[in-house]
Amino acid sequence: MTTDAVPAGGDPRRLLSDVRALAHRVRLDQRITWVALLVLAVVTFVAIPIDAYSLHADCGSAADWITQPDGHQSCHIHRAGALVYWPPALLLAYGAIAVYAVRTARARGLGVRVLPYVLTGAALTVVFAAAWLGWRAYLGSHPVPTEPFPYWVMLLDRLVAPAGTIGVALLVLARLERNLPLLVFTLGYLVIVLVPVAAQWHPAWGYNSILGGFLPQQILNGVVLLAGAVGFAVARRRQR
Amino acid sequence: MTAEADALDAPDPHPVTGLDDVVHQRVRLGILTITHEARRVEFGYLRTRLELTAGNLSQHVAVLETAGLVEVEKGYEGRRGRTWITLTAAGSTALAEEIGRLKLLIARVETTDAPG
Repeated sequence: MTTDAVPAGGDPRRLLSDVRALAHRVRLDQRITWVALLVLAVVTFVAIPIDAYSLHADCGSAADWITQPDGHQSCHIHRAGALVYWPPALLLAYGAIAVYAVRTARARGLGVRVLPYVLTGAALTVVFAAAWLGWRAYLGSHPVPTEPFPYWVMLLDRLVAPAGTIGVALLVLARLERNLPLLVFTLGYLVIVLVPVAAQWHPAWGYNSILGGFLPQQILNGVVLLAGAVGFAVARRRQR
Repeated sequence: MTAEADALDAPDPHPVTGLDDVVHQRVRLGILTITHEARRVEFGYLRTRLELTAGNLSQHVAVLETAGLVEVEKGYEGRRGRTWITLTAAGSTALAEEIGRLKLLIARVETTDAPG
């Protein structure tokens, strides 16, 4: 058998079509989308009881309440457990995703594509921790704001919060995997995270109502990630 | 008339004349494509995806290695021998040029085929 057992050259259209098909097949074989989403969903669900347990609300008196432009009242809420849980949990999650990616790629006989995603996720986790510590340091030396924050500040706050950083890192994964469905999914997830469900509660209703105001958003974030994991896992099974 | 003027008057060379036999061969183009996408690929993966015998694939890989387009690294994972293939910078350039020429060739054919 010689190296020319397969006819050299051929129809250029067919050659290009073969090239594209092979490249697409390799990208499919390299994807770890559903595993990444599953790990992040688990981290999000585990955060719910931890956030709930560590929630602290300064709603003791009417003087602490902030009157919103639309007439609603709010009060200062601190999630003291956020810094204890989220950074290590996210770093562990990205570490687990990296280990899975390397092992899977090696088993499949391919190189690893997702390491920039893991590094982006880890870097954003550090940004979140730095922002959180910076804000706490600011509050330690300044009076607590009595006016509601502008919308863009709240948007930025949600973007550097753990759920937001998960979405931004997923955009990187979608680019690396050249995964259009993941890009669409991530944009939808980011809309849900950045424009949260309206929490209807009143400071006078007590701690449980405050908790009730936070829970739906966190559960929604986790459910969306989990649904994504299941959806991409089913799609992958069908592609094989 | 100078040689420079001759070159200017000469028609553009047909894209076929620029095709590199080492890269243009269908299997070798497949190897380069997979290696480019995967960054690093194991021999067994190539064999499965390209549906080749080990001997046939070895010879194509050897041609690409001799041309300096891929690097071959042999090692062991446990007791099992593994061969990894990586694209070189020259291989990456050759692949990009080949795809460019193929597109040019298709465009040329479509222009020639067009009525009128």
